[in-house]
Amino acid sequence: MSEFIRNDGTFSLSLTLDEAHILINLAEQLLELLGEGDFAHHYENNDPFAQLMAMQQEIAPPEDPVLKRLLPNAYSDPEAADDYRRYTEPALRLNKQTGLRTIREALTVLVDNDEAGTIENLDPQLWLKGINDLRLALSVRLDIDADSFETFENMPDENPQKAIYAVYFWLGWLQENLLLLLTSQ
Amino acid sequence: MADTLTEGEISIEQLLERPWVCIVWDDPVNLMSYVTYVLIKLFGFSQQKAHDKMMQIHIEGRAVVATGSREEMEHHVQALHEHGLWATLQRDDKI
Repeated sequence: MSEFIRNDGTFSLSLTLDEAHILINLAEQLLELLGEGDFAHHYENNDPFAQLMAMQQEIAPPEDPVLKRLLPNAYSDPEAADDYRRYTEPALRLNKQTGLRTIREALTVLVDNDEAGTIENLDPQLWLKGINDLRLALSVRLDIDADSFETFENMPDENPQKAIYAVYFWLGWLQENLLLLLTSQ
Repeated sequence: MADTLTEGEISIEQLLERPWVCIVWDDPVNLMSYVTYVLIKLFGFSQQKAHDKMMQIHIEGRAVVATGSREEMEHHVQALHEHGLWATLQRDDKI
């Protein structure tokens, strides 16, 4: 079972192989969506679980709903929003890409070794933001609203959406786990 | 000439001097603990103030988290977007 561990000032994350696979798949999909899909993916497009979790089939246009959530408008006025976006969005994309790339690289070691393991000496702020971005992306995919917990709880187990919700829920748990370590003295 | 406003009216100068505000909006995804943590990290709020702001965002749907120049507020919005919070900026609508 996954868990962040804090040892004095250093943070690590232990993961099962399945969890590492899920995380690296999500990170790679989101990198692809952010326009940074320039690497050999750990999942083929025809992998059933990858398809199930698919956020977007192609490199996304700006109107993609996941990108809209990750790169939102800063102004309600469309003209001001576009102006702002023109000079800030590249940096925002780069910030998210850099974080996800670092997460992906750390996970690659586990996945390529084909065994559970621990990611040592990780940057907790980078992982905190990265996990949050993955949650946000999945939330768009799952159409999360204030009643989702109940909706998915009551959903029959056969519904594939329920498996995706389980991943989303797990990411929230993982994030809470890291926050607790960051805020405890 | 300078003093032609009656009480309750707003001068052009006052309008132009209205500060900008940075607003964080409620969303059903970001964890309450995460929103509180990010507000402390980015704005140096006390635990209590960050918690109160987070609750205001959650209950009222939005809260002003910073006030100042347009440039400063744009910088804050950028940092909030980096952390995945839903933030916008606008002229303060209160005087």
